[in-house]
Amino acid sequence: MLTDELKKGSAEFLILSLLDAEPRHGYDLQKLIESRSKGVLTFNVASLYPLLYRMEDRGWIVGRWVEKSGERRRRFYRLTAAGRAALAAQRDSWREFVTAINQVAGVRYV
Amino acid sequence: MYDWRADVRARLGAARLHPQDEAELVEEMSQHLEAQYTELAAQIGSAAARERLLADLRDVRLDEAVARVKHRAKPPRARIWASASILRDVRYGLRSLRRSPGMLAAGIIALALGIGLTTVMYSVIYGLLLKGLPFQGGSRIVMIYRTDPRGRGEEDLVPFADYVRYRSEQRSFAAFGAYTQGTASISGGDRPERVTVARLTAGVMDVTGVRAIIGRTFVAADNAPDAPPTAIIDYATWRDRFRGDSGVIGTTVRVNGTTHTVIGVMPDGFAFPRAQQLWLPLQLDSSALRPGEGTPVTLVGRLRANVDLAAANAELAGLSQRLAREHDDTAAVRDLAQPFVRATIPARVYSLLYAMLGAVFLVLLVACANVANLLLDRAANRTREMGIRLALGASRIALVRQSLVESGILALLAAIVGAGLAQIGITIFTRAVATLQTDRPPFWMDVRLHVPVLLFVLALAVVASIVSGVLPALHSARFDINAILKDESHAASSLRVGRLSRVIVIGEIALSSALLLGAGFMTKSILRLRSMDPGFSTSDVLTTRVTLSSGDSTQRRQFFESLEAKLAAVSGLESVYLGDGLPGTQWNGSQVAIEGHTYERPRDKPITRVLAVSPGFFRTFGITMLQGRPIVAADRVGSANVAVISESFARRLFPNIDPIGRRIRLGSSDAGGDWLTVVGIIPTLYADNPQSMQNRRPPEVLTALWQAKRISSVSVAIRGPSGVANAATLRRAVGALEPDVPVYAIATMDQLFAETQWPVHVFGTMFVIFGIVSLSLAAIGLYAVMTFSVSRRIRELGIRMALGATTGNVIRMVCRQGAVQLVIGMSLGFILGSLIVRGARAVLFGVEPSDPTVFALVASVLAAAAFIACIIPAVGATRVDPVVTLKSE
Repeated sequence: MLTDELKKGSAEFLILSLLDAEPRHGYDLQKLIESRSKGVLTFNVASLYPLLYRMEDRGWIVGRWVEKSGERRRRFYRLTAAGRAALAAQRDSWREFVTAINQVAGVRYV
Repeated sequence: MYDWRADVRARLGAARLHPQDEAELVEEMSQHLEAQYTELAAQIGSAAARERLLADLRDVRLDEAVARVKHRAKPPRARIWASASILRDVRYGLRSLRRSPGMLAAGIIALALGIGLTTVMYSVIYGLLLKGLPFQGGSRIVMIYRTDPRGRGEEDLVPFADYVRYRSEQRSFAAFGAYTQGTASISGGDRPERVTVARLTAGVMDVTGVRAIIGRTFVAADNAPDAPPTAIIDYATWRDRFRGDSGVIGTTVRVNGTTHTVIGVMPDGFAFPRAQQLWLPLQLDSSALRPGEGTPVTLVGRLRANVDLAAANAELAGLSQRLAREHDDTAAVRDLAQPFVRATIPARVYSLLYAMLGAVFLVLLVACANVANLLLDRAANRTREMGIRLALGASRIALVRQSLVESGILALLAAIVGAGLAQIGITIFTRAVATLQTDRPPFWMDVRLHVPVLLFVLALAVVASIVSGVLPALHSARFDINAILKDESHAASSLRVGRLSRVIVIGEIALSSALLLGAGFMTKSILRLRSMDPGFSTSDVLTTRVTLSSGDSTQRRQFFESLEAKLAAVSGLESVYLGDGLPGTQWNGSQVAIEGHTYERPRDKPITRVLAVSPGFFRTFGITMLQGRPIVAADRVGSANVAVISESFARRLFPNIDPIGRRIRLGSSDAGGDWLTVVGIIPTLYADNPQSMQNRRPPEVLTALWQAKRISSVSVAIRGPSGVANAATLRRAVGALEPDVPVYAIATMDQLFAETQWPVHVFGTMFVIFGIVSLSLAAIGLYAVMTFSVSRRIRELGIRMALGATTGNVIRMVCRQGAVQLVIGMSLGFILGSLIVRGARAVLFGVEPSDPTVFALVASVLAAAAFIACIIPAVGATRVDPVVTLKSE
């Protein structure tokens, strides 16, 4: 299990990455993170929505109600231009971080 | 399928989100929970799944999400106050105000009255005090006067020698000058005239910065003691006396019998320092004077650009201390500079003006309270409308703004009407001032709707709209939508409005009973003045003033004696009087010693008013003797000096003794002054006291004019039918003796006497107007609140009547509510009112500030007004058919 601190820092990164591909709604995001991290990262309503709204207030993502025929309307979040820039910045710093760790620890990915 | 919406809503419960935000949040979360529940239930069973998700929902971390949504609901200021949405509010406000024209008219009239009265008062203060001198940089002109801290702090003039020192040593003023004021006779040309004159040093014209339109103003050489006499005339004199002749420079004019060369004509409207028509050079020799000596003069200066009043005063303090040390005077006098206009207004006029402004602000406050009540009433009627707008997504601040925009529109319309009312008031005021003859207003006084006055009106409108609009606005913002939409009969919401309205009405009653109390005391003062017996008759008497500036004392006495004889010979005149002054106006004051009494200190001697009169005094003013004989023709120089005393003098200074035959001596010194034998007693004459309307019956002494050592200026009064006792008779008589002597200040005794009482009449009448306006406003306010509360209780009253309540019961019930408000409001108002009345004591006449009859009268007027305001809705309530009201819902 990851510590809360680490989780908080990485969660925003993960959400930005997921929304980079396509707009998704809240529950979708929760399930994707859970399944892709194989259960290492988990969310519930009380932890996910503060995060989403915070990112929305920051202008990284924006939520829109979308109505599809025959379905109830749902709120989909998509990346804004600012969000995309934030994602790029986080990817860079993550890459630097990983490189640094590798050089110190000598871990090597093939 | 389990519905999560109720659980989410319950979780948000206390957050009070905007309805729309709440709905969206509930939908998003419940969808999430629903989806998760479906999956989870399949794995761990529905009961366990629900438990877990409910636990998630209770997690405190969710609060951050709620807080963020709530924060977003507050739109940025820019959006709420954007001009487009304001315009929409204005349009909407206009439309909705037009739907209730009655309320609109009532509100506008109430506020317009309040704004109008306040504007009149403010424009007087602005025109007299705040506007300042109409000169370039007029605000930098200051007057310097001397105060003696050991004395009563009265403002004194500065001796000429000190002026000369100041002029050479001061560094604070760019221009510096001294002047004296007075009157002078001018002659040469068609007829002699008495004009107001100022004698100036050349620096005074530099202080004003005004140049002559023709010729020049004074230069330093004109002030030399041996310089040829010169004069500068005002525009009106030039236009009327010299027919606007541009060749006037170099011609001569006789001033007090001496020939002066005209060197300049001042521009129209220039009458510095007060209402001057003629300027002469101040020609004083200071070479022989020591510090603290010389003619007392008024100092004026124009502050240098980089010097402020405090710095100038600091310099003056240093200079005056140095002067005091030099002539080792222990007198710690201080010379103070003050803005010119402020320095010329007596302190009591200053405080009276601001007291009146305070009083009209109270009227305005009553008007605002009235409008607040009207709007509140309206807000109650629109509770449902507001509720629906909120439910449809209007923010609460938008509703507040809507209310304020409506009260703003109302106040703006009222300001326009109020400015019109003020214009009428100003016209009346200006006419009243124009009738004053003895004391001309200062030349800079210009009471009009100046731009700053109009800005003041605008500010009043803004303040009024906020004061009257904020309570209704807040009220509409505090709605609970669900309660409103469910509350068909408005019972709950109108209950709250009702309570607020009643508090406002109590405030209104308090303010207006305070003002009414003031009005009551003023009315009683005016009535007392009207019905007062002044002790002399004023009808059919024409008066004037005659001053001789040439000749020695014997020639002057001969002139006045011949004048008396000449007028006495005019057929049709009943009597002729010459004397120091006139009854009912200001006399000289003097200390008096009673023979046989010893006074330890000079100031222990009592003070009395003194008037030197000719024998015609008693007949002309219809004064009958209480005891003894009047002053007669035989009381002349050489015969025993006599005095006639007033009843008040006899009572206070000769208690239990017959004063006839006793001797008194006037004056402060122990040695000087002749002993006067008391020969008669007259009723006490009403005395003019410009400081206060109190103490109008002080001790009085009449002496014989023809026993006086020097006579140079006299008041003349003739009694007779207006065909004979007119200005022409007076001019003819004086002109036949001495063509150069002007006859000035011609006025009937009635006019003069009325002028001494004008503060009571003018300020009294204004107070009465304030009182009546605020009483009507408060009565209308009470009426509106009663009508409103009756209309809301109509069902209840219907049920009561159906159950057997009589008409009397219902009326009593309704009136009881009004009575409670009246009693509370009146008690508060009387406390405030007594303070106002005590403050305005200076214009009270013949009535004590604690007079219970006035309190009782005001209370009954208020009670009557309140009764009418209550009885109409109460009777209306009894007319209602119980069946109809019960069926109405």
